[in-house]
Amino acid sequence: MSTITLPAAARARAAAGWLRATPFALFWLLIAAILLVPIALFLAVAVSPRLFQQGPQWFTLSSFQAAFQDQMLQGIADTLMIGAVTAVASAVIGFAVAWVVQRTNVFGRRLWSGSMFALLLVPSYLIALGWERLLEPMGVLDLLHVPDSFARSLLFGPVGVMAVLTVKGIPFAYLAISAGLRGLGEEFEAAVRVHGGGRRAVTRTVAALLAPAIWSSLAIVFAESISDFGVASTLANDAHFPVATFELYNAVDNFPVQFPVAAAVGWILLAMAGLALYAQHRALRGRSYRVLGGRTRPARRRELSASGRIGAFSGMSLLLLLCLGVPTFGAISASLMQGLGTLEGGSGFSLDNYRRALTSPALYQPLQYSALLATITATVTVLLGLVVARLLTSKRGQTSARMLDLLLLAAVALPGIVFAAGYIFTYNLPQVNDLGIHLYETTTLLTLAYIATALPPASRVLFGSVGQVQESLREAARVHGSTAPGSWLRVMLPLLARPLLAAWSLTFGGTLLELPVSQLLYPPSDPTVSVGIENALSKYDYSGGTAMEVLAVLAALAVIGLVWGIFQLVAPAGWRRLGRTL
Amino acid sequence: MNSLDDRGGHRVSLVGAGKRYGAVRALAGVDLEVAAGRFLVLLGPSGSGKTTLVRALAGIERLDEGELRIGDRPVSGPRTHVPPEQRDLAMVFQDYALWPHLTALGNVGYALKRRKLASDQAKARSIEALERVGLVGLAERYPHELSGGQQQRVALARAIVAQPGLLLFDEPLSNLDTDLRERLRVEISTLTRQSGATAVYITHDQSEAFALADVIGVLDQGRLVQLADPETLYHKPATPFVARFTGLSGELNGTVVGPDADELFVIEVGQWRVKARSGHALKAGDAVRVLIRPSATALAESDDESTVGTVSGAVIDVAYRGRGYDHVIACGDRHLTSVFSVRPWARGTQAKLSLDPAGCVAFPLNGEAEISYDKEVTTVTAGQEPAAINRGVTE
Repeated sequence: MSTITLPAAARARAAAGWLRATPFALFWLLIAAILLVPIALFLAVAVSPRLFQQGPQWFTLSSFQAAFQDQMLQGIADTLMIGAVTAVASAVIGFAVAWVVQRTNVFGRRLWSGSMFALLLVPSYLIALGWERLLEPMGVLDLLHVPDSFARSLLFGPVGVMAVLTVKGIPFAYLAISAGLRGLGEEFEAAVRVHGGGRRAVTRTVAALLAPAIWSSLAIVFAESISDFGVASTLANDAHFPVATFELYNAVDNFPVQFPVAAAVGWILLAMAGLALYAQHRALRGRSYRVLGGRTRPARRRELSASGRIGAFSGMSLLLLLCLGVPTFGAISASLMQGLGTLEGGSGFSLDNYRRALTSPALYQPLQYSALLATITATVTVLLGLVVARLLTSKRGQTSARMLDLLLLAAVALPGIVFAAGYIFTYNLPQVNDLGIHLYETTTLLTLAYIATALPPASRVLFGSVGQVQESLREAARVHGSTAPGSWLRVMLPLLARPLLAAWSLTFGGTLLELPVSQLLYPPSDPTVSVGIENALSKYDYSGGTAMEVLAVLAALAVIGLVWGIFQLVAPAGWRRLGRTL
Repeated sequence: MNSLDDRGGHRVSLVGAGKRYGAVRALAGVDLEVAAGRFLVLLGPSGSGKTTLVRALAGIERLDEGELRIGDRPVSGPRTHVPPEQRDLAMVFQDYALWPHLTALGNVGYALKRRKLASDQAKARSIEALERVGLVGLAERYPHELSGGQQQRVALARAIVAQPGLLLFDEPLSNLDTDLRERLRVEISTLTRQSGATAVYITHDQSEAFALADVIGVLDQGRLVQLADPETLYHKPATPFVARFTGLSGELNGTVVGPDADELFVIEVGQWRVKARSGHALKAGDAVRVLIRPSATALAESDDESTVGTVSGAVIDVAYRGRGYDHVIACGDRHLTSVFSVRPWARGTQAKLSLDPAGCVAFPLNGEAEISYDKEVTTVTAGQEPAAINRGVTE
């Protein structure tokens, strides 16, 4: 037997290659541990329970049979219906809002577009709880002696669930469609008018040209609605209206735990999202919607008459009132009342609930805990997101970049509850414990799950900005004297400061108020703020729970405001100008 | 490497430089030597490897093969890769690469950080550099508040401020309009030579190359085809590719009649006889292609038919160029373009063309692979992409 001896130069090259590849391998290891493995193992148990000691069969479809029975089947059917109705309703309202904001001279256009972003940030369970506090028996309206029985019967049923999810879907539809509208120049409308078409014909033509944006809005809202857990665990649960995500939660959280059935529901939810994307693909196949070019002229705003402006303004105000105003009023008024939801309730207002929320450990500790986890999660996610965005935009490593892109896209479409169930399942496996990994019911696992769910959207936010930065800027820093880390610090950081802060703020706000992952993975001794709110509500402390809810939202806004305030005060002038000039 | 006060350029030496991107070979064994303080222009079409070569000099790209020395120091080799910031060089980028978060002064001052100067000294030097490019009044402006020409001037100031030993230029004028190009070209030439640095400048524009260079290297498909001073390159192109890429009026096929004085040969081209220079050992009867420089053509007034070095044809196009007129003449099945005359010749007129042997170069046709252009091509002007050249586009 002969041995092959590498020459010194080749050995040195190989060593240098390994050294360069190590951080890359570690990054992939982390991605596999937090994204790939938990999801893959969880989905695998649906068809092969024996692989993980969850049943006697190596291969079976019996978990799917169980998922298509009784209450589960009802939940799946309800979910499908909710998804379809909310997708269409949100697209119609989102189109109208986008049209009014982008194409007319309605008053307060900034306010309306800003409110869409606000709506995007508010978790669905907070909107649902706001409405519930208003309309529940002995709720705010009852205590104020306002008749509300008809509205209550609508809210606590399919109509209420669909209405709240439509409200959550509107900003997604608005963003997708307004992006399409911005790129659609006036020449298409002018062409319809000069060839004899009226305003209706213009609307029909524009709608046809916006087909990609409309389909994208339908697909996004459908996927968001079917994967929602916030409304499922609050309003739908209180209304005894079964939906798939809550059935999945029950299968994992109740005894006996049925991982294979939960995984089968996970597959079904994924298949539904896949179907929506397929429908979008089929609808747009073979057509060209390339309407944006160098010669595109920006579309002109329609000058509304005085009555038209007042009408449009009133319509937008009413919409905003229903979407944000009513639930905000519900939450704030409920937090100021005593004995809400009980026979001892009164109509007087006081700050006692806030006093209690700030002094009772059961109410303030979850807020502290969540704020800490949200800070860690946002910081780590933004750093990882930057690495991901860099890998996706880099010219090198095309294959691994494509794999990463695909994985992140799949993760975006994956419901949070499936994620959480995957974590419970994987990190509870005896094989994982045998490896010395004891993460189940720990803060570490919860934080990893937060990072895993936040990473796909944060990377998407950063992807566009990192892709915009010309490579030559960093190269110029290198040839003019900066080391590799120096070029990142002195050139890339200033250029990306705003998008990094935006991604941090989004992740912080989202994590602080996060529900599905928290609900399944919180350590028993440390409930998160969303779990704390749910706990308070489950003990009929509606006022205390709602005060906590308001405090959590205010805390999120305060931290985000503080971070941006510091940026404005401390960052050099050139850094701050970039947001306005790029 | 050198201190700020130790001015002077670095010698650059490249041996067997090779670089691959997957299956594409961007550099295929380039050998190059640039003496200290010289201005080298690398000329070549898109995809010829010139950008890869200049990025390898900068240290932004790693060479797969070969060795690069800047001064006496090996900076790239089988076991060496000195990072860009330690090579004592500066670069002017095609897209300017000015950092948008810094002012013009901040951009220029950045290059002084490695010199570790006191801040007042650094500021004074930065202002001085901006003064030299005529932008001291705009020092506090951000890049987006400057025009394209002003931005490129800031990039130039940033490159010269630290007085590096090697200045690299990556097609710095290609995004500017014609008038501005000419003015900035003069500034680049003057400031670079004043700085004493060695310069490597890449372009696909032959007029820019001839105007700037002490030495020109022509690159084709990752190979250095010819390295020579501008005059030699123009009068004695090593290959038909070099001749075409540095400007032709047209090409005529013919047969060698016999040698004439001083490396000249008499060549029968259809019904005419012309004289052309050739570096090849041609003999009577050899099939050749005669490549004709625009400067070698002149429209003749006389009716004398028999002169060697005269061909005739019909004027098919005329274009006013300010100082006179450029004509396109159909000579048999070939066209000769850029035929200059101070007065216009009407379309359809039969004209005589005298061809100066100093601007006619003959290459044997047996190396047909080398001369692979479409037969319709008569002129290769600077700025054309190879695809356009291959399609036979004439402008």
